[in-house]
Amino acid sequence: MAKEVQIVGFRIGREDFGIPIERVHEIVRPMAITAVPDTPDHIEGVINLRGKIVPVVDLRKRFGEKQPAGNRKNRIVVAEINGRQVGLLVDTASEVLKLAPDAIEDPPQALGDEASSYVRGVAKFNGRLIILVDLERIMREGDLRRVSEIADLSATGT
Amino acid sequence: MSFFSEDRANELRTIFFESAQELLQALNEQGMRLEKQPGNPEIVREIRRAVHTLKGDSAACGYRELSEFAHALEDVLTDEIAASAGASVAETVLASADSFESMLTAYRRSEQPSSYPAVRVMIEQLRGTPVAEVTPFAPEFAWTEYDRLLISQHAVRGQNVYNVGLEIDPQCAMRSAALQLVRNVLEEVGTPLAIHPSEETAEPPSVIESALASHHPREWIEKKCHVPGVVSRIVVQQSVASAQETIETPVPSQATPANVEVPAPNQPEPEALHKQSTSLTNVENILRVEAERIDAVLDLVGELIIAKSMFQAAVSDFGRRFPKDALYHRLHDALGLQSQVMQKLQRSVMKIRMVPVEQLFRRFPRIVRDLSKQEGKQVDLVLEGENTDLDKSILDALAEPLAHMVRNAVDHGIEMPDERQLMGKSERATIVLKAYHLGNNVVIEVSDDGRGIDVERVRAKAIERGMISLEEAALLDDSETLKLILEPGFSTAEQVTEVSGRGVGMDVVKGVIDRMKGTISIQANRGSGSRFRLNLPLTLAIIKALLFRVSERLFAVPLTSVLEIMRASEKDVHVVGQHEVMQLREEVLPLVRLERMVNGTASEREGKLFVVVVGVGDRKFGLIVDRLVGEQELVLKALDDQFMSTEMVNGASVLGDGRVVLILNVPVAVERFGRADSANRSSLEASA
Repeated sequence: MAKEVQIVGFRIGREDFGIPIERVHEIVRPMAITAVPDTPDHIEGVINLRGKIVPVVDLRKRFGEKQPAGNRKNRIVVAEINGRQVGLLVDTASEVLKLAPDAIEDPPQALGDEASSYVRGVAKFNGRLIILVDLERIMREGDLRRVSEIADLSATGT
Repeated sequence: MSFFSEDRANELRTIFFESAQELLQALNEQGMRLEKQPGNPEIVREIRRAVHTLKGDSAACGYRELSEFAHALEDVLTDEIAASAGASVAETVLASADSFESMLTAYRRSEQPSSYPAVRVMIEQLRGTPVAEVTPFAPEFAWTEYDRLLISQHAVRGQNVYNVGLEIDPQCAMRSAALQLVRNVLEEVGTPLAIHPSEETAEPPSVIESALASHHPREWIEKKCHVPGVVSRIVVQQSVASAQETIETPVPSQATPANVEVPAPNQPEPEALHKQSTSLTNVENILRVEAERIDAVLDLVGELIIAKSMFQAAVSDFGRRFPKDALYHRLHDALGLQSQVMQKLQRSVMKIRMVPVEQLFRRFPRIVRDLSKQEGKQVDLVLEGENTDLDKSILDALAEPLAHMVRNAVDHGIEMPDERQLMGKSERATIVLKAYHLGNNVVIEVSDDGRGIDVERVRAKAIERGMISLEEAALLDDSETLKLILEPGFSTAEQVTEVSGRGVGMDVVKGVIDRMKGTISIQANRGSGSRFRLNLPLTLAIIKALLFRVSERLFAVPLTSVLEIMRASEKDVHVVGQHEVMQLREEVLPLVRLERMVNGTASEREGKLFVVVVGVGDRKFGLIVDRLVGEQELVLKALDDQFMSTEMVNGASVLGDGRVVLILNVPVAVERFGRADSANRSSLEASA
């Protein structure tokens, strides 16, 4: 039997997302973000991660949340993308999910290979739908689909 | 090679490529020297040695083609051929150096090198050069046991014993008397311990060998033994130099230590050997270290400095709370000592990364020689300040731009000899490559005494290309106009040539210099030459910076670019054309509202303004900031260039309290926000 896949799950709005645990360096509490002039819109700024300067993407804004609320549960997931560390600001992040490989499905047809899609796959876990995020895609410029849209399409497509 | 492990072999190859690069450099340099002094045996020997080493090293790495090529070249590099073939030897050496280089490149890429038939033909032609004397003269000095006993006895007594070999001139009229003549001479200069042949033989001897004890220097013996008309060639070697040498010497040929180390039997050259051994001692004191390892140390030093400033912040907090506590003073003193040591540590590490600019400059004599030859121009290249040190990473990045500028100078700057003569200049043009330190910067200049740059033509062309409008052109002074040639799509050359017409223009040079946070300034006079001056930071790793706030955001600029700091108020600000300016003593200072960079717009503010006056190239700008924070040493960290490439910021640094500060790239910020009306930014923006 194939090995199970471990996923770090996080939440944005009311949706669940996940990225493979191998890609996650650490999860830290939000800290002061220094905005950098003249950078792509989706780059929120940089943080000092123990002396290391790491760019941060507000994934909530990236996924089209209009006014992401800041609260104590917010976290920065430091992930590795193209060999670099990038911080992803999310609403909450806590659990590590263990998925059987066959629990992961390809993204539904409706999502297709459109440029705006960042969905690598969809997994069902305890009755919840978890969207596996294509990290490379979210770092590319251009708008992404709204969270709600993705969720709707995923739900109807499966 | 098979007995090496793969790792070992790879390591060997890495070392080989490095040393081969140096050998090639030596070949190029000596080849050019030989070109000026054809037949100079000293230079030929240097070249031969380099080729010989290359041959050996490449064979050891299994690079058979290169080794064979080097062997073929080494074969024809005899003093005799060099003396009679003249300039074509230098030509062949230089051409071979090029082929070697291409072969090395091929090996690096694990490709099969080509065989360079044209150069091979040159070598074969040299081989065919009629040479007066071809047979090598190498006396054997095969002494009998009794002779060796005598020799060592004299040596033990501290006497110098020489092996003297004399070739009797075949044309000598009295060959039969030669032996007696030579014997007389030898007895005159010392005590002959052995002479071969020892007595008259039926056949007159062609070579006479002798072991000679003498207190005279070698050169003197050589001179004395040169009997005109009788002796044609002479070899004098120190025989048993040390007293430890005994008759028990197992192999007879080892009786002469000097002989053992001679690379090839037909080249007895004791002085050359001496030089080689001294250069070896130097090499032993030099470590080759991968740049990465030094960078790792530098990174750690950087972290250490951040840690130090954290500690410093904590101690001053403590001091504020318990100003009278004895512990505070002890902490304070310890901190002071620590900072001192840290500064030294940092300087030492930086020094390791520093390399003399000579490493870069030495490629150019060859480039200029080839180019000027190809174009029929006469150019002398003068190098100045080769010992100026520069950070290795900057040096590496400079190689391409500098080559381009030198090529430009030969190609476009320098006139043909007849044209120069018409203008009353000397036929030989001069290009000067110069490096020197200026404060915390390094300046590299490329200047020539060629035709210069026609400012009016630059202006006309920029208008024709739509880079600037007529009105804008009228506002630009000469130095601003000259800077237009650094813009993309501009080229002053009327035609594309083989040399500079590769679509690489000065804009590429500017790009590289921008990336290194350097500036370019151009001076040119029509008819009398031009000068390009690159001003570069000494290092990119740790800088002193001035910190300030703009709209509550923290920024820093390198202290080296700050000229002064002024206070002013809004009523000092005037608008001239599209620029906001103010009076700075006798000058007009263009202003840059950094607020525009942060917020996209800028508004007039009440009360006093802080104006940080910065120098960009040879111009001054005033940066309007909200509040000054102070100066501090910052460890520069590059921003992730993959996800957030921006020219506006040089990098970031972490302060003692963990805050991140961005370091502004002053030239770019000034270019971008230097105009009062941001909506009306035209293509001219880059010329600021």
